[in-house]
Amino acid sequence: MVRLKSRYLLCEVNVSDRSQLLLLDDRAIMVAVKAAVARTHGDYGAAMCSIRFCVKYLNAHTGIVFLRFPKRCYKLLWSALPFITSIETRGQKIPCFLNCLHVGGTIRTCQKFLIRYNTQQLHRMLPKCKSEEEKQQVRKAILSCSLTESKEAFEEDSESEGEEEEEE
Amino acid sequence: MQTTHDSLSLLTGENADPLKGGLSEVHPSTERKKKTPHQSGWVRGHHKDGGGYTKEMPKYITAGAFARARAAEVSAMLKAVRKTTSSSHVFEALPKHMRRRAMSHNTKRLPHRLREVANRMREKSLQARRRHGNLLLEFNRRQRKNIWLETHIWHAKRFHMVKKWGYCLGDRPTYKCYRACYRAMSSHCLLQDLSYYCCIELQGDEDKLLAALSQLTSKEAGPTFAAALCLSGRRQGSVMVYRAGRYPSQPLGPVTFLWRPRTQGSVHRQLWIWAHPTLKQDLLPELQTVCQCCEAVIPPAAPVEVNPTLEADSEPENTPEAKPVPGTKRKRSRKDATGPPAKKILGDGTRLPSTPVSWRSSSNGIVINDLTMEIVRYRLIGPQSHSVLVDTLEAATGCDVRTTCSLWWPQHCSDEAKMTLHQQQADIFNILKGIYSTAELPSGTVLGLTVDDPRLTLPRKRVKALPCVKQVDEEKRRKLMLEGVPEPCCQSFIWEQSVRDNVTDNKISEQELNRMRSEVLVPGSRLSPTPLQGRVPILLVHQPGKQVGHEMSSWGAGWDLLLPKGWGMAFWIPLVYRGVRIGGLNMSLKHSQNKAAPHFPRDYPDCPAGMCFQEEQEAELLDKFKRHPPAKRTNYIKHGCVAPFRCPWQQLAEEWEIIVQEGGSQARTTAQADAVTEERTSQQAISITKPLSRFTVLRNRKALRLLSAWCRPTTSKGQRPCRVGELPPISCEAVTSFLSAHAMSLVWVHVSLLSKGKPEYHAMLCVPTPEDLKALGNRQGTGGPQEPPHRDHFKSRIKRRKKEPKKASSSDLVLGLWPDPLPSVASHCSRVTVGWVTQGDFSMSAGCGEALGFVSVAGLLNTLLNQTSEHKGKLLLRNPTSLHYRFAKINVEV
Repeated sequence: MVRLKSRYLLCEVNVSDRSQLLLLDDRAIMVAVKAAVARTHGDYGAAMCSIRFCVKYLNAHTGIVFLRFPKRCYKLLWSALPFITSIETRGQKIPCFLNCLHVGGTIRTCQKFLIRYNTQQLHRMLPKCKSEEEKQQVRKAILSCSLTESKEAFEEDSESEGEEEEEE
Repeated sequence: MQTTHDSLSLLTGENADPLKGGLSEVHPSTERKKKTPHQSGWVRGHHKDGGGYTKEMPKYITAGAFARARAAEVSAMLKAVRKTTSSSHVFEALPKHMRRRAMSHNTKRLPHRLREVANRMREKSLQARRRHGNLLLEFNRRQRKNIWLETHIWHAKRFHMVKKWGYCLGDRPTYKCYRACYRAMSSHCLLQDLSYYCCIELQGDEDKLLAALSQLTSKEAGPTFAAALCLSGRRQGSVMVYRAGRYPSQPLGPVTFLWRPRTQGSVHRQLWIWAHPTLKQDLLPELQTVCQCCEAVIPPAAPVEVNPTLEADSEPENTPEAKPVPGTKRKRSRKDATGPPAKKILGDGTRLPSTPVSWRSSSNGIVINDLTMEIVRYRLIGPQSHSVLVDTLEAATGCDVRTTCSLWWPQHCSDEAKMTLHQQQADIFNILKGIYSTAELPSGTVLGLTVDDPRLTLPRKRVKALPCVKQVDEEKRRKLMLEGVPEPCCQSFIWEQSVRDNVTDNKISEQELNRMRSEVLVPGSRLSPTPLQGRVPILLVHQPGKQVGHEMSSWGAGWDLLLPKGWGMAFWIPLVYRGVRIGGLNMSLKHSQNKAAPHFPRDYPDCPAGMCFQEEQEAELLDKFKRHPPAKRTNYIKHGCVAPFRCPWQQLAEEWEIIVQEGGSQARTTAQADAVTEERTSQQAISITKPLSRFTVLRNRKALRLLSAWCRPTTSKGQRPCRVGELPPISCEAVTSFLSAHAMSLVWVHVSLLSKGKPEYHAMLCVPTPEDLKALGNRQGTGGPQEPPHRDHFKSRIKRRKKEPKKASSSDLVLGLWPDPLPSVASHCSRVTVGWVTQGDFSMSAGCGEALGFVSVAGLLNTLLNQTSEHKGKLLLRNPTSLHYRFAKINVEV
């Protein structure tokens, strides 16, 4: 197949004060990444970064970011990410760093990884909970993220049963 | 680990419905999102609700909230991952290397986990879908939303179908037949299915009915329901209906009506009012109020009648069970045993069975029945339509079965009086053979008849019905042509509900008829004796042709054939086999255009249905306009066309009223046009203070006759010398007095172009300047003046807006269209506009462009006053897409 290949970096924005996370938007992250690349790799890097770089997804509540880089030069650009120490948005400077969790060839694989990663995180949280209330909530969250799957599977099952009845 | 509680709940809400989130991306910073190839469930970019952040942020969060945020993200991602790309095939979910050839054909080539889904999505086989029961079920399902006429399947195979007014109707044939249809209308016969017209039946004492109905009509607009000829039942009448007691201001629309002839010694009468479906919803409540009929009656016959609908509704629940599997007879037989067989829907399939169709009045005993879809109505247009009818139909043969049976015809045969009446009707029907043209009969003649099943005399090949004139008694023929059908012969049994139901229920099915045919000894010979069920009461109603104007008088006359429901196809095919052409909605528009008659609802801008039509048409045309790329669109601003997709009648009428008030006697010069623009600005102030008066269409017979006489030039080749003598000649005083009564009126005019040109709808009718008329007098060859191109001031504004997408203005500017509010419509161009065309085309009967439209009465009179006698009634016509004015002659026809 003839297509432009890219690499998608699934990163986590780590901040000290999590309430600041809500201030983020995709443009701010883009600017910060571009600045970092320009600082570390100069004009060549900046040019690389300007071609097909884009922020594909940002969840301000969890701080998950999808970055798209051209496949040809993603290692070069990736190497600049640790030099981001703060992101400037809405006139505020948020001290933070980006932690790359996964590198994928498609958004889909990143999404799949994110599902796995998040559930894993939740499972890890469960034994560390301090109060009973917290435990309940985390348990509910774990259930809710797997519930959609099970419910759909259940629906499919019931439908197929109905189909079988019709066949008879 | 701190986030807000409330914003988290918002987030979960967003993520639970990712599609919605995807659609609600309105904030400007995410413009690039449109380019994303992933239209999947997950929301790209920043998550926020409409751009606003909660102002205060709590300092800490609980682990639960943190967990919920993760969970929400996971579920959103899950949804995104599970969703396949937009295609409907299951195997698109497979990676490319796992796909195999013909997976959609044979689902066993799919991996096991996908097989169920694929099987469910697979269509049933064509044979299964075509099996009669399944086909009927499918048809019944499809006619639940829009009513199908009985000839629907026939039409659907040959016509472009449109869904209009709650019906599925044929618009125009898929084959080319425009000219052939016109030729059929003018020389042979064109057939149309008009069953979508709604019939409302009124029953009650004659005087009470007339008293109630007189509120709806006015004598000034022509004969009313009480016209003597119509009241006797010998003629069909047509009348314009208004809201009760609101004669000139609130019209509803035109209806035709038919009284049942009197029975001896009874004042109880029956009246059918035929109305267009868009008119019915306004008319029915109005009738209920004037007749004081508010008690809904569900007649005892109703449950039986709606039974098929009920069954059809309950049917689809059985369909999954009755799903046929090829090659298994056992299952099919079980299905036949359990599920009730699907029944064909006759009549209105969309109506709930519980909806009342009958209303009774407790005070005056009037009963209103809604007979929508109970009676099939076919229209035959053309001079030979009577010969088609005579060829197709045969008066019912008597039967000498003395046994009592449930069928209606044997019962009637035993009654002597009824048989003599039938004999008389049959005689008159036979005289019809001797008539040269349908137009010779008095318009609106009614003939009741009982006929044999026309399927029995179906020719083996399509033939063309031709008149055979000779064998008829000359004297009888003349009598019929002069006096019409005598009163007793207008009686028909189709008026009786019981007979109609009996006929509908006992119709021989096509299958049964074919079986009987196959058993005949000599193949192809007529069935004898005729089966007892095959007698149908019908009603033939003559439709008048062109009634107005001098040329082509009574063009397009024809017959209407009224049948009990269920018999539609039984009569349709035999008619088609007599060589008629079939027309759709498009042809009925052309028919009325050639007749110079207004077409409902298009040409009734003051009726609620007409206004509704105008809005729909505007939306449709605008949609079509916007489908073109901007560079290929007509710039209507440059063409000086203010409203290309609609006609702002109200504004036109108001403007002309003001122009006339300010000094209508001035010559129309450009100076005046300037003055008008000033007036226009001041007018808004006036219109606030003045009570809003709506424009009306002038329908007062006397006033129309006066206008018509004023329009006509005193000397002209094509026109007959008019009898102006009785009417006052046009003068300032006469005009002023006329305008005091009808200042806010429009008048229906017929426009014929003097030279080339084909008028289109929404073309402008403008007033020529004296210089134009002089040029016309000098050289006949000149086509007419040109409009200087206008400047588009809005173009720069649109461009500016394009450059700065951030500052998106709220106004919806479309390139080439005037935004609201419109400027002065009358004086926008170099020639003053007085009206617009609503229908226009090249007329094949006249051989030049002809149009029909409305002009403002004030504008017209003002023009006529200033024109010399030789140029009286000459206007300019300009299409919305052209800058060229053409000279046209207008006529007000009564």
